Amino acid sequence: MNQKELRELIEFLIEKDIAEFELERGDVKVRVKRGVLVAATAMPLHTAAPLAPLSPSGVPAEPLMESPGAGKTSASADEGLHVVKSPIVGTFYESPSPGSPPFVKPGDKVEAGQVLCIIEAMKLMNEIEADLGGEIVKRLVNNGQPVEYGQPLFSIRPH
Amino acid sequence: MSTTIPYDLAELNAALQESLFSGKVHFLPETGSTNTLAMQAATAGVEEGTVIFTDQQTAGRGRNGHNWHSEPGAAILVSIVLRPKILPTQSLWLSLMAGVAMHDAILRTCGIACDLRWPNDLLIERKKVCGVLTEISADAEQLRFAVIGIGVNVNQPSFPGEIAGFATSLQMETGKQWSRTELLAAMLKSLETQYRGALTTEGEQALLCRVESISSYVRGKRVHVDEAGGYDGVTDGLDARGFLRVRTAESMRTVLSGGVRES
Repeated sequence: MNQKELRELIEFLIEKDIAEFELERGDVKVRVKRGVLVAATAMPLHTAAPLAPLSPSGVPAEPLMESPGAGKTSASADEGLHVVKSPIVGTFYESPSPGSPPFVKPGDKVEAGQVLCIIEAMKLMNEIEADLGGEIVKRLVNNGQPVEYGQPLFSIRPH
Repeated sequence: MSTTIPYDLAELNAALQESLFSGKVHFLPETGSTNTLAMQAATAGVEEGTVIFTDQQTAGRGRNGHNWHSEPGAAILVSIVLRPKILPTQSLWLSLMAGVAMHDAILRTCGIACDLRWPNDLLIERKKVCGVLTEISADAEQLRFAVIGIGVNVNQPSFPGEIAGFATSLQMETGKQWSRTELLAAMLKSLETQYRGALTTEGEQALLCRVESISSYVRGKRVHVDEAGGYDGVTDGLDARGFLRVRTAESMRTVLSGGVRES
């Protein structure tokens, strides 16, 4: 992935209002979190440095762990949380049809196999199931929001 | 009221011999939704090629909870269970190939070349005659199964006021009744042909070309997209994954879900 492609990717993520994105291809690994930008664990350094101006908030890129504003969930609180990711690109729906109650909300106890949400693309509906039982800690995307392949959808604290 | 011609199950079974669906078709006079039933059956382990169809759906579903209008015995309402060994991301090809398969079946059986509204609605003179809704069960690595649900308006003599403006039937377009048995057999055979061919790199390319060749919606159509708050633009081809690109005044956008309307 060259710098132009990376720039296009990031612009796409900003345009689509995607909060968090991870890509692994060969030895290139890119992780983007909106507001803060973490790039290139295995990429040559010279491509990582010029990325700073791309940060949507104008804040220079810096490692996520050192950012004071990286969210209230500390690394220790995230430990042991299981993340459910989207298996396809599509639109995230929290309920079976518009106006009906969501499948799950934070605080709910879920069983393995229970439907958490629907991802739709090209009139293909993918009911996303919990792959283990536990408590829904967070919903990580908004209803109607586009999601990328592999994008985290929910965090679950296992039983 | 219309007089409807019942399905001839013996004829259907004979027509499907040596196909993927041979001996696996199940007819119910009435059911809530063939897709719901097929999803349950697939979860319970029925084999690939299982077909469930009905004369009347009491809770038929479309995208966004839209109901598929179902007059008893007039439409083809069918769901098909497939179990391709593919990644979940590849399952989108099933959605595209289903529309192309139905286009071909209607053309072959009734001589009507429908327009395809991305991703897989079939229209005659801008009115919908066939709709497809696909549901899948998948984990991150693998598709467990897919259910392709298809509704075709065949022998409805008319539609009630609120949907008359955007729905039509094969009978309304041609002035004659059609054999649902014959058309369903053609639909399933056409689906098998597309299914066998679609899931290879060459097949994916060919499918994109086919969609473009039978659809007035893929390029140069002014549309409204009911997604991401709604926007207008002009269609500008399909990307490599089959998503529709729409050029707006500001940028090029990619339509992920359905909900494209001529504007």
